[in-house]
Amino acid sequence: MLKWFVRVTKRMQRGFDLFVIGGYFVSIIYATLIILPVYFVLVSAFKNNSQIILTPLALPPALDFSKFIQAQNSVHLLRAGLISAGITCGAELLTLLLAFPAAYAVARIQTRLSTLVETIFSLGFLIPGLAILMPIYMMTAKAGLLYHPIALVILYPAFNLPLAMILLSGFMRKLPRELEESAVMDGGNVLQIIVYIFFPLCSPGILTVLVLNFIGIWNEYLFALILMDSDNRTIQLALALLRANQRSVDFGLIAAGVVISMIPVYIVFVFFQDRIMSGMLAGAIKE
Amino acid sequence: MTIAEKTPRLVKSIFSNAEYGRRNARRRRVTFLFLAAPALVWFLSFMLWPLLNMFYISTTSWNSLNMPKKFIFLDNFIRIFHDPKVAIGLHNTGIYLLAGILGVIPFAFMLGFFLSLRKPGYRILRTIFFSPAMLSIAALAMIFLGLYRPDGMLNSFLISVGLPGLTRVWLGNQSTALGALIAIDIWGGIGFNSVLFFAALANLPEELYEAAMLDGAGYWTIMWKIAFPLMVDFIGLITILQFLGILSGAAYQILLTGGGPGTATFTLGFYLYDQAFLSHRLGYSQALGVMIFLIGIVVIILIRRISSRASN
Repeated sequence: MLKWFVRVTKRMQRGFDLFVIGGYFVSIIYATLIILPVYFVLVSAFKNNSQIILTPLALPPALDFSKFIQAQNSVHLLRAGLISAGITCGAELLTLLLAFPAAYAVARIQTRLSTLVETIFSLGFLIPGLAILMPIYMMTAKAGLLYHPIALVILYPAFNLPLAMILLSGFMRKLPRELEESAVMDGGNVLQIIVYIFFPLCSPGILTVLVLNFIGIWNEYLFALILMDSDNRTIQLALALLRANQRSVDFGLIAAGVVISMIPVYIVFVFFQDRIMSGMLAGAIKE
Repeated sequence: MTIAEKTPRLVKSIFSNAEYGRRNARRRRVTFLFLAAPALVWFLSFMLWPLLNMFYISTTSWNSLNMPKKFIFLDNFIRIFHDPKVAIGLHNTGIYLLAGILGVIPFAFMLGFFLSLRKPGYRILRTIFFSPAMLSIAALAMIFLGLYRPDGMLNSFLISVGLPGLTRVWLGNQSTALGALIAIDIWGGIGFNSVLFFAALANLPEELYEAAMLDGAGYWTIMWKIAFPLMVDFIGLITILQFLGILSGAAYQILLTGGGPGTATFTLGFYLYDQAFLSHRLGYSQALGVMIFLIGIVVIILIRRISSRASN
């Protein structure tokens, strides 16, 4: 920290640039505006209502976990978290199972079909989730899967496929041609090439897909709201319910719920932030 | 490998041929389809098929899942034109879009440019800017509930700096509710998009700036004269993404305001949700969906046109 400070002051002495100073000024104000609400929620989770109202930004007087326990008791947050985790695992696995061979086909097999398939998948970015919410609700009801977590395990991969395809096929295109050629010489077939050669080589790309999918699925609200019921609440539904359940707002309770719900995603963010940023950028550019 | 073992012999023979990837175009196509079909079928069934269904349902009068649909062709669309709530929704959505785009993109671009200069501390700033994108919509709604409620953080801040006259019931007041929801989008949107701009700008060759620096141009000039023209296409893209996100958004209304107070936060997206799941006018809700979808397509084409013309 001190080293950093010395470096900053040295640089500043070297060139007094109004733009850079303005940039820091605005950046720091904006960074504060981002951190404050999050900090506010974090400390509120350990306070009672009057402490939250009277001293919103003060540190909690004690590490009081009673709001977490209360949140758990009122909407079964942990159960909801487990359901979300289960749905996430299932949907991740299915996404990969579907996207990996398809991405291989698009990236490595030269036919005119591959542009067509890519175009079809890129349409996914144009379809508003809200617009297909109702038709999907009907489909789910017809299939008898309404209020069953399996419905989300089936649906989420469909939403995630376009991005997964872009990232995986982009990754595979960079691998050298000779990979397949030598495998074919040795008598390997396509499935063997995919499973034994491409799957291990693509593990960085796979990891990016898994991480981005995880964030998307864990945070998804709208489809879970429509397709699940009180027995199969996902973590996001439980969180929203913390507010709906009470007459007067006990914000400490809600804050505890927010903190619990965002812990897994923030852990992933800490470890994989570069991956997340570059993955989201690739998704945006390819759209 | 079990998958290979389970593959029928006929299909298997297609792959075990050493000629794969060389000559036989038809064989390649079959292989391609075999690998891509599952994903394609999945995507078509759960994305495109529901979309087609939306068009179909929009031509029916249908008021409950248990009741039969009645084909009424374009009547729902004619109704849209006479529906005062559509006018209100369009108005609010228009404000939302305008503020959500103008409030985000210029700032995101400038902050992104500043980050791309890689001044000391840019990494930590980038992490902070990006972090709101990790929050779910439900978490965002709950966080801002804590800020906006009558005895929330925003009001107590205003009181503590001696401005008690400015305190409001932010989400319960007709004149502030829409702005309060838009502010949630702007709050996180600037940061997220600034990191996208940063990443896009980081791909530009450094010599571009150096040449201009030698000519004595400052960063401000470089930002607008060099970086901006090169980023026009990307700005168009970010605008499209921002536009689509707002146009078909309804989650904050569902979680916080219910479209109210009055009709203050009543947007097209929320109207669609309301008709489909609260008022059970399924046919009409899908007609609204078709309208939203078409608006989206038209605006995408428009923005593409503008940005490609501007970048030439």
